[in-house]
Amino acid sequence: MKKKNLTTSYLMMLLPGYVWLFLFSIVPMIGFTFAFQAFVPGHGFFGSPWVGFDNFRYLFSLNDARSIFFNTVYISVFKIAGGVLVPLVFALLLNEIRVGLFKKWVQTIVYLPHFLSWVILGGIMLDVFSISGPVNRIVESLGGTKTAFFARADLFPTIAILSDVWKEFGFNAVIYLAALTGISPSLYESAAIDGAGRWQQLWRITLPSIATTAVLLTVLGLGNVLNAGFDQIFNLYNPLTYSTGDIIDTWVYRSGLLNLQFGLATAAGLLKSVMGFALITISYWLARRFANYRIF
Amino acid sequence: MKRMAFPTALALGLLVLSGANAQQMDPFGKYSDPVTINIGLSIQPTDKLPDGDSADNNQYTRYIKDKLNINTVISWMAATGNDYNQKVNLSIASGDLPDGLVTLDTAQLIQMAKADELADLTAAYNMYASPAMKAMISRNPKALSGVTFNGKIMAMPSLAVPDDGYHITWIRKDWLDKLGLKPPKTVAELEAVARAFIAKDPGGNGKGNTIGIAGQQNGANLYATFLNSTNNQFGLDPFFAGFDAYPGYWLKGKDGHAVYGSTTPETRAALLELQKLYKEGILDQEIGIRKDATESINSGRAGIYFGNWWSGYWPLPDAIKNHPEANWQAYAVPVDKNGKYIPHAGTVSNQYAVVRKGYEHPEALIKLLNLLIRDEGNFDQNNGSINWFPLRVPMAMIDESPVTIKAMHDVLANPSLIAKYQGPDYAMYKLLKTDVVGIGSTKLKPYDKSDIQYWNTSDKFWSRGYSYFTGNTAINSFAFDKVYSLVYYQTKTMIAQWSNLKKLEDETFLKIIYGTSISTFDQFVKDWKAQGGDTITQEVDAASK
Repeated sequence: MKKKNLTTSYLMMLLPGYVWLFLFSIVPMIGFTFAFQAFVPGHGFFGSPWVGFDNFRYLFSLNDARSIFFNTVYISVFKIAGGVLVPLVFALLLNEIRVGLFKKWVQTIVYLPHFLSWVILGGIMLDVFSISGPVNRIVESLGGTKTAFFARADLFPTIAILSDVWKEFGFNAVIYLAALTGISPSLYESAAIDGAGRWQQLWRITLPSIATTAVLLTVLGLGNVLNAGFDQIFNLYNPLTYSTGDIIDTWVYRSGLLNLQFGLATAAGLLKSVMGFALITISYWLARRFANYRIF
Repeated sequence: MKRMAFPTALALGLLVLSGANAQQMDPFGKYSDPVTINIGLSIQPTDKLPDGDSADNNQYTRYIKDKLNINTVISWMAATGNDYNQKVNLSIASGDLPDGLVTLDTAQLIQMAKADELADLTAAYNMYASPAMKAMISRNPKALSGVTFNGKIMAMPSLAVPDDGYHITWIRKDWLDKLGLKPPKTVAELEAVARAFIAKDPGGNGKGNTIGIAGQQNGANLYATFLNSTNNQFGLDPFFAGFDAYPGYWLKGKDGHAVYGSTTPETRAALLELQKLYKEGILDQEIGIRKDATESINSGRAGIYFGNWWSGYWPLPDAIKNHPEANWQAYAVPVDKNGKYIPHAGTVSNQYAVVRKGYEHPEALIKLLNLLIRDEGNFDQNNGSINWFPLRVPMAMIDESPVTIKAMHDVLANPSLIAKYQGPDYAMYKLLKTDVVGIGSTKLKPYDKSDIQYWNTSDKFWSRGYSYFTGNTAINSFAFDKVYSLVYYQTKTMIAQWSNLKKLEDETFLKIIYGTSISTFDQFVKDWKAQGGDTITQEVDAASK
């Protein structure tokens, strides 16, 4: 009897979360009807004429369709890879430092950029990489010629990926550092007694101990393959870099919110959601299989 | 004097005419019971209000409450530009419009009208519009037809002075003088001036820091288009016109049929020249991708930019704050191969005030605008800029500029004429009564010279006075031909496909300027036609017949 009461209170506590989820995630889903309509504003979710898959057909007839899907996957795959590897290496390096104060100091500084929004950081980057900015001054003083970095479509993905990895690696390293402190010191002590050097300790103890964390972060990242980072791209791109920088989200934003192509934008968004759902399902399956991670 | 009296006579005539077929109500009648209007407001982030005032409690809303008994409530507000347009788009999409709002986008107006979200203003306009408003609108016959859908007036249009559509060239005259150069006329001369600015560095910016021709910023238009035909500050419009090229405009081709200006050989030639200038380093090396176009002008590094007559408001106040010697003067150049300055001309209206369908007092909008026209000049804009006026769409007499310039010169020469210009004959020129007083406090002798050293630049009237004596004089001192677009709105197919074509165009043109082979242009024309351009051209052709 007592137990049942408890369950009720737990469910009551969950209620606000469910209401939130219902209002902001479930209800707006009705809007996917726009993808199959020649949407006329003001006629509600079901009032506009139905056009079947016309919006999707038009979407795929555009040259943009292929490039935005490719750009999205390309940029985000490298971001995920960089976002796993760089923090890992950094955390391992930091872990080897024995001066406590210096270690804390470095750790604090590298994770500061995480707290800056892309609106601010994007503005800073545009200035730093502009024709008269510091990067070009250095290039010039070394005898190179000035480049308008953000005019170069070939450089854009690299800049986007590197800056994103740079912004987030300090913060992501925290997870690894936490995993590292979780390794029992007795393992290292016994290894040292057995005559293992620093390298051997790294390969035999440290890496295997945090491998699960790394695998988990990678597979969970897979669910985000179609999110290449709207905030960042939006603040950095321009018509010259559309060809390599335009991602699904920025394209949906432009066609829907700026150009009033509600049906078309919803179609692209819906397509992204369906593919994202499939990827998330796969990644959870992988996480369960390889990292023994489960939510349900 | 005789000519000036004409509009008044016309207005009176119209008043009689309109009185005959519609019941005329008091345009300024105060409601006996308070009326509330919820509005969406677009505002510049730089528009500040005095302490204690707010968007729904400031000198304008209090005045409106006092005179009309209307309470203004702000449903939402957003920064002018993309933020505001997005907010309006969201309101349109969700069918949740405030009682009134102003749209800055013809496409939005058409969307709202087609979606049946707007109140019919025909009766309200006929019954409540003041004689002054009717006079202004009647001198711009196209204004009302642009907001009439199925015979009903669905919005109140702004009435722009035609000057806002003509783009001109601003040049640092102090640099010209220093180098002993004459103001350029042709494209070649303009390029030579820019070249000299860079080579001889009259601004002392240091080697490699001078920008010959300043460039547009990311997200703004490289040239005005048929949908955004006016006020394209920092675009390349005059340069294109120097090649008889009018990209973004719908033109009548040699065969009499519609042709899109961005696909013509003239535009190709202009792009090729721009590419050359970019390569040579004369054109801003970050054109179209820089964050802020005003930066190079305000920092004193740019010698030439293209833009509007009203530059005295923006960006020049900041430019002369940093460099008081910067003598920016305006020229109606470059001329084309026949030696003529032929700018493109904009639409009469680029802003529209609308009322949501079902709002009980659609006439409240008309009354607000009546009040604005009558009393705009009375407000001290130091207590909040006129942009705070609810549902404001600027309305101006079509000949406001030439009349204003003449009045300013007249009262400088003979202050006793002030009374004449403040009299009833000029009541339609709503700012004239303050203009004729203000000019005296900012213009220094000699009155016929507009150079920067002959102005009291700290006077609050400087922006307006300077804009009229430089930019506006440049386009009102001689007669010239202009190029109109065949249409200024989207045809049926455009609604679905224009954004894709425009993206293709923006991307291609900017790439060509940055050095991609000109053969991309020919490919662009082919793609553009295949991806819907041909259909759209036929629609425009049919619509313009």
